[in-house]
Amino acid sequence: MGANGSGKSTLGKIITGVAAPDQGQLLLDGKPISFSSPQAARKRGIVAVYQELSLIPDMTVADNIWLTHEPRRWQSILNGREMRRRTQDLLKLFEGTIGPMLQPDAIVATLAPDERQIVEILKALSFDPRIIILDEATASLDSQQVDRLFDLVAQWKTQGRIVIFTSHRMEETFRVADRVTVLRNGKTVGTAQLDQISQEELVAMMIENSVASQTLTHRSEHESSPVRLSAERIRTNILQGVDVQVHAGEILGIGGLQGQGQSDLLLTLFGAIAYKGAIQLEGKQQRFSHPSQAMSAGIAFVPGDRGAQGLLSIRSIFENLQLPSWAKYGLPLQMKNARQDASQVASRLNLVMGSLDAPVDSLSGGNAQKVVLGKWLLREPKVLLLDDPTKGVDVGAKGEFYRLLADLREAGTAIVLYSSDDEELLGLSDRILVLRDGKIQGELKGEQLTKSALVATSMGSEQESAS
Amino acid sequence: MKRFKLSPALIALLLAIALFILGGIIRPGFASYGLAMNILRLASFLGIVAAGQTLVIMGGGEGIDLSVGANITLGAILVYNITDGQDARVLPALLVALVVGAIIGMINGLGITFLRVPALVMTLGMTGVVQGLILVVTQGKVSGASAPIMSRLMSEPLLFGIPGVVLVWVILGLIVWFVLERTRYGKHLFAIGVNRTTAKLSGVRVSATLVLTYTLSGMLAVIGGFVLLSYTQNVFLNLGASYTLPSVAAVVVGGTLLAGGQGSYQGTMAGALVLTLLTSLLTTMQLPDSARQIIYGVVLLLLLSVYGRQRRLRS
Amino acid sequence: MIKSSTANTVPMQLRRILVKNSYLLALLLLIIAVLINYLLQPNFFLPGVLNGNLQTYLPLLLLAVGQAIIIVGGGIDLSIGSIVSLTNVIVVHALGNQSSPSQIALAIVLGLLAGLLAGAFNGFCVAYLRFQPIITTFATSFVFLGLAEWVMPSPGGTVPADLANLYTSNPLGISFMIWVIAIVLILWGILRSTRFGPYLYAVGGRPMSAYQTGVPVSFVRLSSYALGGLMAGMAGLALALTTGSGDPLIGSPMTLDSITAVVLGGTRLSGGQGGILGSILGVLILGVIRSIISFANVPTWWQTLVNGIIVILALAGPGLVSLIRRQRA
Repeated sequence: MGANGSGKSTLGKIITGVAAPDQGQLLLDGKPISFSSPQAARKRGIVAVYQELSLIPDMTVADNIWLTHEPRRWQSILNGREMRRRTQDLLKLFEGTIGPMLQPDAIVATLAPDERQIVEILKALSFDPRIIILDEATASLDSQQVDRLFDLVAQWKTQGRIVIFTSHRMEETFRVADRVTVLRNGKTVGTAQLDQISQEELVAMMIENSVASQTLTHRSEHESSPVRLSAERIRTNILQGVDVQVHAGEILGIGGLQGQGQSDLLLTLFGAIAYKGAIQLEGKQQRFSHPSQAMSAGIAFVPGDRGAQGLLSIRSIFENLQLPSWAKYGLPLQMKNARQDASQVASRLNLVMGSLDAPVDSLSGGNAQKVVLGKWLLREPKVLLLDDPTKGVDVGAKGEFYRLLADLREAGTAIVLYSSDDEELLGLSDRILVLRDGKIQGELKGEQLTKSALVATSMGSEQESAS
Repeated sequence: MKRFKLSPALIALLLAIALFILGGIIRPGFASYGLAMNILRLASFLGIVAAGQTLVIMGGGEGIDLSVGANITLGAILVYNITDGQDARVLPALLVALVVGAIIGMINGLGITFLRVPALVMTLGMTGVVQGLILVVTQGKVSGASAPIMSRLMSEPLLFGIPGVVLVWVILGLIVWFVLERTRYGKHLFAIGVNRTTAKLSGVRVSATLVLTYTLSGMLAVIGGFVLLSYTQNVFLNLGASYTLPSVAAVVVGGTLLAGGQGSYQGTMAGALVLTLLTSLLTTMQLPDSARQIIYGVVLLLLLSVYGRQRRLRS
Repeated sequence: MIKSSTANTVPMQLRRILVKNSYLLALLLLIIAVLINYLLQPNFFLPGVLNGNLQTYLPLLLLAVGQAIIIVGGGIDLSIGSIVSLTNVIVVHALGNQSSPSQIALAIVLGLLAGLLAGAFNGFCVAYLRFQPIITTFATSFVFLGLAEWVMPSPGGTVPADLANLYTSNPLGISFMIWVIAIVLILWGILRSTRFGPYLYAVGGRPMSAYQTGVPVSFVRLSSYALGGLMAGMAGLALALTTGSGDPLIGSPMTLDSITAVVLGGTRLSGGQGGILGSILGVLILGVIRSIISFANVPTWWQTLVNGIIVILALAGPGLVSLIRRQRA
């Protein structure tokens, strides 16, 4: 276990031969060993299941599982029937938790994320490994499938296999693991038996600062301030009729289990997805068919996947900060003004950088995320939408981020925030709307802003609203 | 110590100068002012066409415009036909040709962005359509004539012995630099080349920008045809074909990544110089055709070993 | 958890079938084209006419198969037409004016070997030196063309009558063309059912995943280019048989046609899906379209344009369909 950036994934990559260490050594059965490639590790019985899929989208489930070790006839011709049969046997392990679409002949690209994750697990299993690394492999699975997976893990333990398990859901770790090793900033901090340690002690081992900085003082007076943004009967592929209202100077949290439509809602409000329904900004009707329209109206969007959605990795910090705003600087672009404005934002953000012209991928995760926020701050937006913005950001930078959000709230910006981290969501939001299956399952206010209420509502139980 | 980073454009320029000197060594008289002007003139044809190619490739997404060769020919033929030797008709002829080139480029752009046809395929297909258009317009025989003012302005020495087309090229270089570095369009184009999703989520109108880019490429190819016509004063059906892939090579040699999002037109200009010098050098060496082809290909491969490498799979 | 909610709808099932059998659309196009052709040319289905058409298409067909293998593996070869020229002149040159069976066999082997080596060279540059495929094969197209011109500076040479007759013969009553196509399909079927099949599709589909799973990515890529070169060699050989002589420039226009045929056949340029069956259909579609245009009494000067427009429509077709679907959603 360890916080983001502690080195868990890197360690896994070294063990499976995808990366090589600078120093130190691996010992297998007491003997030193090093792996020059993933195949080498696999030959010694070490496989990993990651959340980033290693499947070939246009090939079938069976082809994917058996790639490079297909059953063959006469040493060279692939035995299709045998492949299908063995795949069926593997699929049976998850029987009852998967839909009928998951067949050996199904094309992986047409499967849902949880089905693909299961294919990944089965693929690792097909190598009959001694050591299985499950790195955040439960993230896409629903509770039934997780239960089944843990049953399998128990079986594997009796079969003498070794399982290395990482998850951001601590309850899972306590359920399935016997022993835990904690990493922090690339070092091993300690190891313990899970039946002898509590959640709080474990968390304390993982972080240096206390988690307390996560909480902002909640404000409930915002109810009297004007409604900045409202959306009615929003329908998209995933959203089934959602009504949202955000007040000026309020942080509205969007909660719920992963994939219930949170990102979709934010993207819709930003005009990045086609939708049916009505959106009003400060009382005026709006129709967004492209983000540039939402931007002109004063809405900003900070994505969580900054590499894929938020930044231009090879371009400079300066260019990244000004990307949405070049229209302000005339023709020809007034570069001096643009640089001044960018510098101002950079210092307001406390950006740790070489220079404005350094490429943005030279920044650490936390600083890079500040740039993503910064490019919107330049525009002084009326509404700020954030889609899981502190994913992969270290604890120190998270604190700064929270302070920035608090400042913005103070200044009257309406903020809509989705976070996959329940603690963070509860700590920051004045109010939380919980989404489930594309609809609003409930609204949490005031005293209801507790972890148990959030989890319960996410899972489907109704909450009575505080009067 | 500050690291001195040699930009690919600079390297290409140095290479061009090296080739020029090499030519002077191999064949005395090569490194003369007259020949240098001739080389510049030839390079400007390629350079003007490669400007459009630079923009298209900069926009990323495996963008490429393989229809430039056909557009060059079409442009030249339209001008040849409409001008018919009369100075007064040159400007209207050029305008008509520009409009046609813009339409073809726009069709390319629309097919690539809205119909999601891969650029390689779309522009390849349009080549066939444009070639068909050429046949329809000419019915097999090309009639018309280039006007005297064209050669006077373009291919004969205009200022200080420099042919007009070279001046046009230099001005174009300044314009393209300005467009890329000092306009919103340029910044947006770079952004699209690096990451389309980020660009869209930052308010960039991706499709419109790309359609505009391909439209510009079509128009620049037509201008290339115009200046080429001023030089050759004659058209034939394959006039532009030999410029298509060299325009891509010039962009790559000049340091613009085929993946997009990075690069400069200055680099392409240097690349055009390199390729033109190479061709000239090989011609003066009076080697048989076969040897010239082989050496051209081998040198390109050598250049690729410096610029064209892609990322490893193992990190 | 939003689970599998879209996985069982009719469009999804349709998509599944279409992805697995990408040549179906091409087949449909071909059937339509053939019907139109038949309407314009009632003797289309006469064995002599059909065979004559196939003889014209065979070189491009073999070439498109080679290009398809390369494209499925995620690459592309712009020099493939030059390889055709090269092998064409090598075969004719090696034949000299001998006609002994061993000399003929040697000439054929030399030609095919040249194609294989040329393709392997391309593959080495792309796979191991990691050069970009488009520019690399553009550069090598000059090298191969130059070599072809060096071997045979101008068209000429002869092909012994026995060999040329083989091309038009009907062993066991079935046209030689059909034999060739059948053998190619069978060999491809065998190749595809070995490990190489999934490897090729994996490398073209998602090279990073293939690498992580242990597929020898570089070797697979090189092999695809080598096979492509070999097929180009066969095309050069076929051209020698059909024209009866050698020509160093004969292959040049075939490169673009081979790419068009592959794309028409339903194979994506990005790789990882499709196959040679679709590409063969693509060649046939191109040929039938040209035939339609000439039989429809389209004025000579309009033929190229009409051909070009039809090709563009065929290439843009799938995109148009998905655009309409997106607008409606």
